[in-house]
Amino acid sequence: MIRRYFALASGLLALTLVVCAVAVAAAPTQLTFTVWSYSNDVVQDNIQKFQARNPGITVALSDFDWGKFTDVMTARFVGKTSTDVSYSSDHWLQQWAAANWIVPLDDYFPQVAAYKPDFAPYAIEGMTYNGKLYGLPYYADTEIFIYNEDLLKRAGFSTPPVTWDDVTKMAVAMKQKKIVEYPLMFQFQDITPDYIEIFLSMVYSHKNPSMFDKTLTPTYDSESSAAHKVARWLVDGFRTTKIINPASLETTEIPLVKAMGAGQVAFAVLPKYNLADLNTPGAHAQAGKFKMALMPGETHGTVGYVRFYAMTKMAADRGKEVRDASWKFLDYFGGKTGGEFTVVKRWALEKGLGFAQLPLYKDPQVRAAINKWGNVTLEEQQAKLARAKEALTPFWGSWSLEFQKEMNKALLGQETPLQALQASAAKWKEMKK
Amino acid sequence: MRPPRAQQLLVTALAVLVAAYILAPFAWIALSSIQPEKELFSVPPHWVPRILTGDNYRFIFTGKFPAGFAETGLLRGRISEKARDALPALRNSTIVALTVAMANLVLGVVAAYSFSRLKFRGAGALYTFVLASRLLPPMALAIPYYLIVARLGLLDRYGALILIHSAVTLPFTVWFLSVYFRRVPPDMEEAALVDGCTRLQVLVRIVAPVAAPALAAAAAFAFMFSYNDFPFALFVTSTIRSQTIPVIVSATAVNTDVSFGVVAVTVVLTMLPPVAFALLFRHYITRGLITVVTTR
Amino acid sequence: MSWKARETRYAYATVLPVVVLVALFTVYPVGYAVSTSLREVVLYRPASTPFVGFKNYLDIVRGDFFATAWGHTLTFTLFAVALATILGFGVAHLLRVRSRIASFLNAAVLLPWAIPTVISGILWAWIFNSTYGAFNGALYSLGLISSYIPWLSRPTSALFCVLFAHIWKELPLTSILYVAALQAIPDELYDAARADGAGVLATLRRITIPLVLPTTLIVVIYESMVAIVTFDLLYVMTGGGPAGATSLISYYIYNRMFTSYNFGQGAALAVILALSLIVFILVYLRVLSSEDVYRE
Repeated sequence: MIRRYFALASGLLALTLVVCAVAVAAAPTQLTFTVWSYSNDVVQDNIQKFQARNPGITVALSDFDWGKFTDVMTARFVGKTSTDVSYSSDHWLQQWAAANWIVPLDDYFPQVAAYKPDFAPYAIEGMTYNGKLYGLPYYADTEIFIYNEDLLKRAGFSTPPVTWDDVTKMAVAMKQKKIVEYPLMFQFQDITPDYIEIFLSMVYSHKNPSMFDKTLTPTYDSESSAAHKVARWLVDGFRTTKIINPASLETTEIPLVKAMGAGQVAFAVLPKYNLADLNTPGAHAQAGKFKMALMPGETHGTVGYVRFYAMTKMAADRGKEVRDASWKFLDYFGGKTGGEFTVVKRWALEKGLGFAQLPLYKDPQVRAAINKWGNVTLEEQQAKLARAKEALTPFWGSWSLEFQKEMNKALLGQETPLQALQASAAKWKEMKK
Repeated sequence: MRPPRAQQLLVTALAVLVAAYILAPFAWIALSSIQPEKELFSVPPHWVPRILTGDNYRFIFTGKFPAGFAETGLLRGRISEKARDALPALRNSTIVALTVAMANLVLGVVAAYSFSRLKFRGAGALYTFVLASRLLPPMALAIPYYLIVARLGLLDRYGALILIHSAVTLPFTVWFLSVYFRRVPPDMEEAALVDGCTRLQVLVRIVAPVAAPALAAAAAFAFMFSYNDFPFALFVTSTIRSQTIPVIVSATAVNTDVSFGVVAVTVVLTMLPPVAFALLFRHYITRGLITVVTTR
Repeated sequence: MSWKARETRYAYATVLPVVVLVALFTVYPVGYAVSTSLREVVLYRPASTPFVGFKNYLDIVRGDFFATAWGHTLTFTLFAVALATILGFGVAHLLRVRSRIASFLNAAVLLPWAIPTVISGILWAWIFNSTYGAFNGALYSLGLISSYIPWLSRPTSALFCVLFAHIWKELPLTSILYVAALQAIPDELYDAARADGAGVLATLRRITIPLVLPTTLIVVIYESMVAIVTFDLLYVMTGGGPAGATSLISYYIYNRMFTSYNFGQGAALAVILALSLIVFILVYLRVLSSEDVYRE
């Protein structure tokens, strides 16, 4: 009798333990994912699909204003609010990595190295700090030269400009023929982060584009530098030939795109996704007339930038389960599922975002989709000539704002282009200390 | 004696000028919200709209893309979807602002009454708090406020906003109302106290009804501050569960796919609750202000 | 318990919740700001945050942006306060006229108050835009200009555009404050003045302006505080440009903290700003109290 009860009791105990073990194993790992607010519904859908494939993981999404993203994330990291995976960008990677807010993926997931051959070199460079890789690309793109084909033809030209002298010549012709008063406009507002990228794109299209030497000392403040050539060209276009719209000093990316879409701008340097926007019939009066050309200049080089998924130090410290879940997340969103970069391809097809995952250029669906609003052959060519921004440091953001302010003083005629470059170089040396 | 004709004309002209200055931006945004995107960038603008459309409003309310936005060959088309968070954000903003107004009415009124009628130390400290809470710019306050709210576990909750907004508006409410209460003759209250009422009963039954304009004014100021706050709401909210309308409008306006027509709709919607509130309470606001500004 | 003791207990019970809440959100941030300002806190060098005394303060004051930023801040504040006060005073007179347009204006004048500052910045940046803005469009349609002007791209006109938008936002409050103040002036004084043969200007100088002096004090203090810490409007409209022409101290606090990640310097700058505000207020009180203000 007692033996039977004992057997029953041990059986029940064993059953209970098994059930508990299963329950514990099935308790989902919760990841917090922070993004800037762009197509949240697509992001949520991707999350649902990820969760369906990984029943043990749930992802909570938090989204913030793109313009204030780093500000809010700073508060979040300072306050140690639980964050596991986050969007990040090449131009603030240095600050986040040095502050120990995000961690190198190489250290925790050696398997990430397998992806490197697939990524564009400028993207790898943009995600690397101290020799280690910090993320997988969300999207990557290049600054391209966009022109209004209709305005070009009306001025009597059949092919887009190939050098910056061509640009001047064509712009002057447009101005003289009264086709458009200011053929060029730039997003040169004092504090917009795009300004420096546009300037660098123009510098990189020249020979000997380096602005810093190996010890990260500025070399661009000399008379013969490519930066000086670009600065002189800009000041010339602003003040002498008047082919550059003086309103550039108040303009950021969106107003520039709106003005161009309305037919007020013939030539602009913009991130490539804007080409998809400009050719959207409902949004712009001149939709359909916009084309891309290789960046004018001797080398046709330009800036390539990357936005990526990063894992936080907080996630790394939360234990093996969270780390594994984070890797599954990163792999799903920035890597391959079923042999294909599914999420990245979806962004390319649905929103026209650029990508650093090069195999996608072989995908016929992607090629066809891009060709509807752009030119995939040219795009591939431009991507090969794109360089990551050089000399990124934790104080690069601060320096770039000073650079922009000084350049604007030159555009307003308050100082010469060389003085502007020298002033910002001096600031760099001060900040480097 | 009626004022001379010339003077009347001058006054009317000035009034029209001022009205134009005040109302022009609202007219512009309202007209922009009912036109298709392409129309908004004509040079010069079409002062009388040539094409009217409800597409922008329809997008906010139902998610259907305005004409032409889905035709790029992209599977999804390009328009700022964040704008669709405007309606929940409006709800969040209104609930938070009303709660803050209530908190000011309950806590602020009671505290102000005690300050004005009862003898105890702290009146000087009150004035210091009123001014001190406005001396540090919001940017410098954002991080400490964020840390307080985070420690209390209130991030991304109404509680965070209600707490911060109340903490910032209460000093002004208490100061404003205590000045007002001191102006009210205490005879009726003394009589009621002698009859056996408690201070609280006196406040609720006798003083509050008489002071209604001042109370309404204080509630209105608190509502406006809470509804219009951007820097604090930006930091302590992280999902649409608590994001307020200024946060949503700003996030929509910086998206690269932004449609200005859609932004215009969000701005029009933003204005509806506070405008309704302001128009309802404006007489009280003026009457409440009169006594306070003429009291020392 | 004695009646006195019960009353004291009631007093503290009603006042303490408010005081504790406000103290938490005042004392902690001030403490945080001061203690951070005395240490070297650079977020991307987290390994060490040593105590450095007044080094941050010295670095700030010796920085080349400090003098120019103060110059811009004082210029902006001077114009903003003067315009808000004078225009508020003028509009208040318009609002008190008995006419249909005046009662319409009474309702309309509240509208700019009902809109968050960041949204008014977005709105005005759109209106002043040099390619498709309504301001340029209006001037062009009226034949006053032959081509659009880049208002926000030139230092002087950028400042005036920002002032234009700032005043638009502040006019509701200042004009309503003055309406309240004007309403408190007894009509007999004006009748007597008219009987004595006093003209409009003399009446203003001898009667109106002295009697609204307490309100002027409030308006000037409040508008100064608002102008000195103004951030959202400028950030959205000009980004502090062109070439730093509209960069105020408040922008540099943001820049130090969130761009340079130097919390120590940002906190020091915030403390300097707060101290300056205290000095301003004390100066105002001294200057405006020297008049025989408190006659009642």
